[in-house]
Formats: sequence, C-alpha cells, structure tokens
Amino acid sequence: MNPLTQPVTVSHYLIVGAILFVAGVVCMATKRNALGVLMGIELVLNGANINFIAFGSSYLRERNLGLDGQLMALFVIVLAAAEAAVALAIALNFYNNHATIDVDHADDLRG
Amino acid sequence: MMLLGAIDWHSFFFFVFALLAAGFALGVVFTSNIVHMAFYLTLSLGATAGLFFLAGAEFVGAMQFMIYVGGTLVLLIFGVMLTAQSRFVHMKTSAGEWVLAAAVGSTLLVLLLHAAISNKSWTTGREHRDTLTIADAQHVTALGQSLSGVRPDSLEEPSPAARRGMSGYLLPFEIASIHLLVVLIGASYLARAKKRVSSSKS
Amino acid sequence: MDLLPVLLGCAVLLPLASFWVILLVGPRMGKAGEHAAHLATAAIVGAAVLSYVSLFIWLNLPKVEHGHDAAATTADATASAKHDDHDSPGEAHEHAAEQTPLATSGNYWTLGQFGRLNISISYYIDSLTLVMFCMVTLIASCIHLYAMGYMHDELHEITDHEVTLRNGSTLRRPGRYFRFFQYLSLFCFSMLGLVLAGNIAMVFVFWELVGICSYFLIGFYIERKSASNAANKAFIVNRVGDFGMIIGLMALWGALGTFSFGDIDANHDHEFSADERGLFSLVRDPANGYALRETDSMVVQGATRAGGEQGARAIAILAEHDGDLHAARVQIESEFPDLRAGYWLLIVAGLGIFCGCVGKSAQFPLHVWLPDAMEGPTPVSALVHSATMVAAGVYLVGRFFPVFCGEVLLIIAIVGCITLFLAATIALTANDIKRVLAYSTISQLGYMMLALGLGGWIAGLMHLITHAFFKSLLFLCSGSVIHAVHTNDMRKMGGLLRKMPVTGITMLIGCLAIAGVGVPFVIGFSGYYSKDMILEQAYSFSQANPQAWTAVFFVMAGGGAAITAFYMFRMWYMTFVGTPRDAHAYDHAHESPAIMCGPLVVLAVFAISVAWDTSLAGYGLIPLAFLVYQGGRRGWFKRSATAHGHNAHGHDDHAHDDHGHGTHGQDDHGHAAHGHESHGHASPGHVAHDIFPALSWQSIVAVLVLALIGGRLLQEVLPESHLSLRNLLAQSQPAGTQHADVIASGKWTDAKWPNEHASHVPQIVIPVTLLATGTWLVGIGLATAMYALRLLNPEDVRRQFSAVYTFLVNKWWFDELYDWCFVRPTHAISAFMSGIDRNWIDWLIDSAASCTRWFATFWEKLADQTIVDGIANGVAAWTHAVGLSLRRVQTGRLRQYVMFIVIGTVAIFVLISFFWSTSLARG
Repeated sequence: MNPLTQPVTVSHYLIVGAILFVAGVVCMATKRNALGVLMGIELVLNGANINFIAFGSSYLRERNLGLDGQLMALFVIVLAAAEAAVALAIALNFYNNHATIDVDHADDLRG
Repeated sequence: MMLLGAIDWHSFFFFVFALLAAGFALGVVFTSNIVHMAFYLTLSLGATAGLFFLAGAEFVGAMQFMIYVGGTLVLLIFGVMLTAQSRFVHMKTSAGEWVLAAAVGSTLLVLLLHAAISNKSWTTGREHRDTLTIADAQHVTALGQSLSGVRPDSLEEPSPAARRGMSGYLLPFEIASIHLLVVLIGASYLARAKKRVSSSKS
Repeated sequence: MDLLPVLLGCAVLLPLASFWVILLVGPRMGKAGEHAAHLATAAIVGAAVLSYVSLFIWLNLPKVEHGHDAAATTADATASAKHDDHDSPGEAHEHAAEQTPLATSGNYWTLGQFGRLNISISYYIDSLTLVMFCMVTLIASCIHLYAMGYMHDELHEITDHEVTLRNGSTLRRPGRYFRFFQYLSLFCFSMLGLVLAGNIAMVFVFWELVGICSYFLIGFYIERKSASNAANKAFIVNRVGDFGMIIGLMALWGALGTFSFGDIDANHDHEFSADERGLFSLVRDPANGYALRETDSMVVQGATRAGGEQGARAIAILAEHDGDLHAARVQIESEFPDLRAGYWLLIVAGLGIFCGCVGKSAQFPLHVWLPDAMEGPTPVSALVHSATMVAAGVYLVGRFFPVFCGEVLLIIAIVGCITLFLAATIALTANDIKRVLAYSTISQLGYMMLALGLGGWIAGLMHLITHAFFKSLLFLCSGSVIHAVHTNDMRKMGGLLRKMPVTGITMLIGCLAIAGVGVPFVIGFSGYYSKDMILEQAYSFSQANPQAWTAVFFVMAGGGAAITAFYMFRMWYMTFVGTPRDAHAYDHAHESPAIMCGPLVVLAVFAISVAWDTSLAGYGLIPLAFLVYQGGRRGWFKRSATAHGHNAHGHDDHAHDDHGHGTHGQDDHGHAAHGHESHGHASPGHVAHDIFPALSWQSIVAVLVLALIGGRLLQEVLPESHLSLRNLLAQSQPAGTQHADVIASGKWTDAKWPNEHASHVPQIVIPVTLLATGTWLVGIGLATAMYALRLLNPEDVRRQFSAVYTFLVNKWWFDELYDWCFVRPTHAISAFMSGIDRNWIDWLIDSAASCTRWFATFWEKLADQTIVDGIANGVAAWTHAVGLSLRRVQTGRLRQYVMFIVIGTVAIFVLISFFWSTSLARG
C-alpha cells in the first residue's frame, strides 16, 4: 500500500526514534572528538524523546500516555540541557588541560 | 496513480520530517568533520521538533526548538568552535572500530525495529482521526497545571485505577530545578579560569 | 585442781610469747638485741614461778589415801636418812589396793575428730608433770642467766676463726645474740609442752619441735661446717627414731583407737564411757587389777586377721557371739591359747614409742648425734643435751610405762644396758671436755633406760631429775672453763683450781654427784641415791629371775658406775689439778663473771641435795639466803653509797676469794685465736655484779646449810607435805606397778619384773649399797692415782691396752660403721640415681626436645612454608595475576568503554527479547 495514504502509527515514530537512537549510540562509540560523543548523547536522548512523544500522542493512539509522555519528554530535554552543559564544561576543561579534544588521549586512567 | 486528494498530509509531513531527522542523524554518524556534525545535528533535532508538532505535542516541540536546538546545540556549537583547531576538525575513526560499531549498531537497530513493529496495538493507527478537535490539543495549560501538581486530565480518565495512578509533576519539577541549579554551579566551577597548559600532548 | 591446767598452760605459753616477740622485734630490742635475753629470762623465770606455785597447789590438795604413802608421810620424817620410805617390809606389802595415780587430764582444745579418734590439745597433770616442770624451768632459768654472760660476744661483730671463706679470709659476721634467746625460748616452750601433753600425738608434735629447736641451737654457729653437719646429724638421727614412733602411733590408733593418756570426761557427765577412756585405763583395766592386758577389740582383731583356719575360726566365733567382743575374746583365748592375738600390737606400739625415745635420748644405736651436738654453745649443751631434751625420751618411757609389756621392757633394759656401757667406755679416752660430758650423758641415759626397763620406775625418773641437775652443772662449769682458757682440749688445761675456784668446786660437786659418792647408809650427794636405787632394782631383778642372763644387767650397771666415777674424776683432775700444760692458756684463765657463776652455785646446791628427804621447799630459801648473807657482808643494809667495789679493785672482805672477774686480766685478752666457742667477756658480769654478789665456796656452804636447815624446819612445820623427790614421784607411779609383786611379765619370756618395793628390803639394800660405795671408791681412787697423784702413768696404760684404746678412741667405730652402712650406700644410690637422671632421663628429655625441634622444623617446612604459605602466596599471586590481567581491561580509552556499555546493553536487550513477548507491553 502506499505509505503516504496510510495513517501514521506509533511504530513509525518508534522506527524513527530507533534510528536516532542507534545513530547516537554509534556516534558515542566511534567518535574520537569529545564533542562528537556529546552529539551522540544528544541523538540518543532525542530518540528517546520521540518514543515518549509517540506514546503520549493522542493522534496516534486512543489509549495513550497523554500528559505523561509529554512531560517526560520535557524533563528529558531539561536534563539533557543540563547534562550537555556539564559535559561541555568537562570537555573544555579537558581541552584546556591537554590541548587536545581527542578522547583517545584521555587514557590517563588506564590500568 | 496516487491522487493528491488521497494523500494523508499528516503522513506526508511525517515522512518528510522523519527522513530529515533520520538522514541527518546518520549524517552525524558518518561524517568526520566536527563542524558538519554540529550542523547536521541541528537539522536533525529541528526535524525532530517537527515530528513533535505532528504528534500533537506542540509545547514539547516548541521547547525542543527553544531549549534543545537553541540552547543545548548552541552550547555544543560553541564548544565545537572553541576547540576546532585544524587538526581536531577531521578525526577519523579506524576501520576496525567502524566494523564493530556497525555490527553492534545494526544488532541494536534490528532489535529495536523488531520491537517497534511487533506490537499489534502500535501498528494500527487511530481511527476517527478526523473527528479530533483542536481542543484536544490544548495541552499547554494541562502541562502547566500538572507541573504545579494538578492533573486536569485525570478527570477524563475512565478507569478509577488509572486515575489514582496519575500524579502531579511538582516534585520532579522541583528536582529538575535544583538539578539545574547544581549543574549551573558545577558548570561554572568547572569552567573557572585556570592555568592553561602550554604544550600540547597530541 | 582446776587451776593447775591454767597455770601450767600459762607456764608453757610464756616462753612461746617470748619467742614470738623476739622473732618479730629481736634486732631492735636494745642495743643489738640485748633485751631479748632479758625478755627470755623473764619469761622462763615466770614459767618457773608458775610451776612452783602449781607445785604448791598440788601439795595442798586433799590426798587420796594411798596405802603406803600415808604411812610414809609420818614415817619418813623421822626415818633414817636413807631413802627407804617403807619402815619394814611387812608394812610395805600391805597389798593395799592398786589405784590410778592422782592425776588430772582434760582437753584444752579439740582440733578434730576422726571417727572415734579425737585429736586435741590436752593435758595430763600428775606429780611427775609437776616435778618435770619445776626441774625444767629451774634449770632453764639458771641457764638463761648463764647464757646472758656466756653469749655476750654475740652482741658485737664476731670474727669466727673456725670458718674460712672461699677467698681465704676468716668470717666476720654480725652477732646473733637475740636469736640465741629466741631459740632458747622456743625450746623451753616445746619442752614444757611435751611434758604437759595429755596425748601421744601432742607429744609427737612437741617431740619434733624440740628436735628442730635442737637443730637450730646446735647449728647456731651455722657458718661452721662442723656445726651445721652436727645439726643435720642430730635431726636426721632423731628422725630415724621418730619413724619408729610414728609406727607406734599407728599401732596405738589401730589397736586402741585413742591417743589420750588419761580418761577425759569430754561430755562432763562425770563418767568415763568407753569412748572417753585413755590409753592407760584401756590397757590396764581397773576391773582387771590394773594388770597389763590387751583389750577385747585387740584380741578379736588380731585373731580374725590371722591367716588360715585359726582366722576363719575366730571370725566364726565373733559371728556366733553376735558382736559381743568380750565373750568372743574369752572364747578365742580359750580355744587358741598360743595365738597371743592382739599382743603383737602391744609390742609394736611399745617398741615404736621406744624407738622415738632411742633417737631422742641418744641410746644405742642412735647415740651418734649427741657427741657431735657439742658443736653448739655450752648453754645449749647444758640445757638441751643433758637435762631436758634428751631426758624427754626417758620421760616418755616413764609416762608410757603402763602400756609397755614385758618384752618391750626387756628390750628397753637391754638397750639401756648396752648404751651405758658403750658410752662409758668411750668417755674413758675422750680428750675434749665436752665430749666426756656428752658420753657421760649418754651413759647416764642408758642407766635411766635400764632402770625403767627393769621395772624401777621411781629409780629411773629420780635419776632423770638428779642427773639433770648435776649434768647441767657440769656442762656449765665446762663452759666456764672453756670461756676462761679458750680451748676445749683437756690436754691443754691443768691446775685451774687456783684460778677458778668457784668453777672448780662446783664442778667437783657435780663429779661427786655423778659418781654417786656418799657415806653409805648415812648421807650422800643426789646421784648417790638415784644410782643406788637403780642398782638395787637391777639386783632385785636378777634375784627375782633365776635365769643367768638377768644378772648381766646388774653387773654392767655396777661396772658402769665404776667407769663413770673414773672418767669423771679423770676429767676433773686433768682440768683443775696439777701443773698447767699450756702456760699461755693458764695465764689468761680467769674466773667467770658472777652472772655465770651464780647459776653454777644454784645448780650445785641442787646437785647435792635434790634427792634428800628434806623438804624441797627449803630450796625456796636459796635466793633469800644468798641475798641476805651477801647483803649482810657487803653492807647493803647499811645504806652506804660506796661502790660495791668488786673485783676490779679487789678490795673486799673476801678479796682473797675474789678471783678477779677478769677485769684486770681482761685487757690482756688480746687473743686472736679463740677456742671452740664464742663466749662472753666480763661486760655483762659488771652489770650483774650489782645483783649477784661475789661468790665463793664459803657462800656455797653457807647457802647449803641454810637450805638444809630451812628444809628440815619446814618438814616439821608441814608434815603432810610430801615434798621429797621420791615421794612426789611415787605419787605418779602407774597403776599396776604400785603394790603388785610382779608388775610386768611377758608372753614370750618367763622373766618377771619385781615391784620396786621389793628392792628396798635390807637383803638387797645392804649389799648393793656396799657395792656402789666400792664402785666409786675404786673409780675415784684409780683416777686419783693416775691423774692427781701421778702414781700410774696414763701413757703406759694406753700403750698396754693400745688396741682397746684405739677401739675406744674411735668411738667403737660407730660413725665409720654408719658411714659405711648408710651414708655411703645412700651416696652411691643417689649418685646412681642422679646419674640416671643426668644421663638417661635428661637424655630422654633432651632427645625428646630435639625430636620435637626437628619435627617442628620439618613440619614448618612442610606444612607452614609449603602448604600454608603456598596457599596464601598462591592465592595472592593468583589474585595479583587476575588483577594484572584485568588491568588490561582498563585501557583508559573512552570509546572502548562506551562500546562495552553498548555491547552489554545490546546483549541484554537481545536476551530479553527472546524471553519477553511483546504482548506484555501495554497496549
């Protein structure tokens, strides 16, 4: 069937969310730049937000999370912001102390 | 042949935004230029906001734009700009790690996709969408009220058990406030003026 | 009568109190402890006073009518001076009823009760006790005073030339004055306690106490090897005797179930039940006429324990009579007349007790310690080893007389006979003045044992008392001589009579007494009476028993008397008569200070007259006479303040008698070498000079006359006073020996022991008295010929009898014999044992120790190092290795960590997805 004619369901959102999530995870795992890792974190959180919103949307389902979903997404945004600020501070500190933003050089804690 | 009239515009825009979001997300993954990554991310998150709007969470979408894109990402871009020395702009990951990441990522993706489409209730759309009114989307007031501790939508909840489970979000709100305060202090402490390291360790 | 136990108990405890005080504060009593002597002397004088007060009370008690005693009181006041208190044989053998002697016995304190056996502190007071108390306390008081002068040297630091230290120098030590009196006090307490004791267990306790006091006193000069060896010898030899005594005690307990001498009314019901009866009344039952007879229980016990069919039959008989011991005994004795069941116990008990007496009284074969005991200071020899401690054995034999059966008495007599002869012969050749006296003591103790063994109870105990006085007198005189010439060796003396008249005269009195000199049938010294009584009893015994061997006792006793007289006068002549053999010693000789001479005179008085029939109360006049007479001569009653210039200035009325108490000679005494004993110089004499006036033979005679007269007068005043020694002793004659013709007999021997009365008949008295006179005449005559008049040369005699002489000089080689028989085997055994110990046992233990050590080392290597350490180290190493390997996980690479997180998460999701159906999700 033509996907454009079909109504969007929760799973669509979930798929998108999954893609974002996986992208973010891969980003976290592979990026050498610390800020790249941070971006991965943002992607992960966004993927989760999409899920929340999808489940809380009254457009997509009759029985939905309602306000809960949106509120949770809201809180996630807030916390993501806070966490991004701190992470950025750490990264910049790291950059200032080591004159590099490469996380591979942050191996002082190796055993 | 598709009739324009038969296009569900909701779905159409959904797909647009979805493709944008996913595409740019993948772009973030695959590019090695930090600045590109930042830009792609911005676009991806903007598309996500659009998805939020489409899902009926206007407030959250707006917030996504304002806070996430306009705040967090700007912060991130600041960071990128501050650290974008020439040699740090392009940092390639080795092939072995790509393979591993691809394996793990694809496993996860398959898992999540499988979970996404396996539930019957999630794959069926809502009926009678056309009868939905704008009034159903007046979520902002309800959001604000629930943040103050009152859940107005509990009045409409049919099952009494579920009604009892609906709680106000005042406490999380407070916690989040304190959390932000702490973060503020922590971040400002971390970002205080320090002696700069003269030599680089690359 | 009730007061006597209290008084005598206090008399016993006074020296003990003195001992404790001196023990605790001795060194601090006066300068170097000189007040200790005063305290000790005060204690013993107090005890003496209490004793005489008790005697006085005793004498005034209403008398029980003893048949012959009642006759004696009126008769002997006017009797001849001879000691016969039976006017005629006919009267004597009135066959009055036997009675238990007048005595009181009771418990002071019960220590414990074991079944029927009562261990308690009890007393048994009869006239023998009182006589012993009076004798011991009087002699002890004299000796305390004497010792205050004799031991004066101990107040200063002493250089003892007989002790050489390891580095070659002579010993210098501080004086031990107070300690001497501490021991003397303890000894007095022990001796008095022994005499007062009412049960044989208490006697044993005090027996040991006197033994240990003797040990302390003999070993007073403890740094001298000879003294400490002598002390050990004395104690150990005594202990050998005490071993027998313990066996005797056990036999007594087993046989009779009680230790007590007399019947003690424990429950105050004025009746003596079977449990309350003492030894004497158990074995000499009144119902049986006080004849010695085993108790029913002894017979039955002995019979039922005999083996074989006799024992079985005896058990059956006992069962038949259903526990009636008396009837069972009668039947057993009738069926088995030869069994003599139970008699063995009597013999064992008697011999056991006698064994203790053999040790204590230095009888053969345990006599070897007494000569060596002369290593102690002379006051010790005088008090302990002549008058009191060695007399304790004789006293116990006398006290225990009722329990001795015929066989035991025979053995006592034999032992005594051997001893008296043995010691007398050894004394013939002794050159040390104290050794002569020591052997003389042993010999006289043998006499006493002989007398007691032959049934002469009164004779033996009377000799005990008289011997105590003259022997202590002799010892004190010898001490005085030694003090003057600083040597014990008689070969260095001679001609001292001019220089030491008081000592010489009093010693002469002592020698006369011991030789038994007297005008026959008229009067004599004290020894005359007692020795004659012994000889009479011996003669009577040989008359009463037709067997030939019974005459041996009499012959030996007579011969011994002659030998005694000889060696005693040999000693006197060698010391006081003739030309001085050592000019240096003679020049420095001087009379002893008055504190030492005073007791000599007192004892001399008693040595002369203690056995006389005159009342002993006359002797209370002695100190009075002293003081009055001397005070009159010195003008004490004239209240003049002139110094009683005695001796230093030598100008008294009797200046010619005042042989300087050494003041003029004292400064010349710069001797480096002292004799055998530390002795005091004249310093205390100066103190005592104010109390004891100068003494001379005139003083002695005067005092004696006064005592005689006073005594005689008192006799008239108090006719019932029973105050002669013999009467006093006769009051305690054991029941069963008073009137019976035969006082003892044995089951294995046919000998009969005649009553002492039988020895006082003229047929016996006359020949014996003449014989005794002959013995002292011969003895003294021969001694005079050899040593005074030099008619016979002792050297010639010695050469003639050289073999005999060697035998005697070596003391019959007893010491060597004992050394070979006992000491060397003991040394050999102990060397062998110590060899085993060192070589085997030590080897065993050492090898066990080294085995353990080896095992420990091996085990340590194996278990500890290998296993335990291996495990511990292995675990640690493994942990370390694991840690090291895990460490490699920490690469420090951030992306790797993230990757791990992701992989982990994915893995979890994968796992969950297999188990979690999507239908669980909220629809």
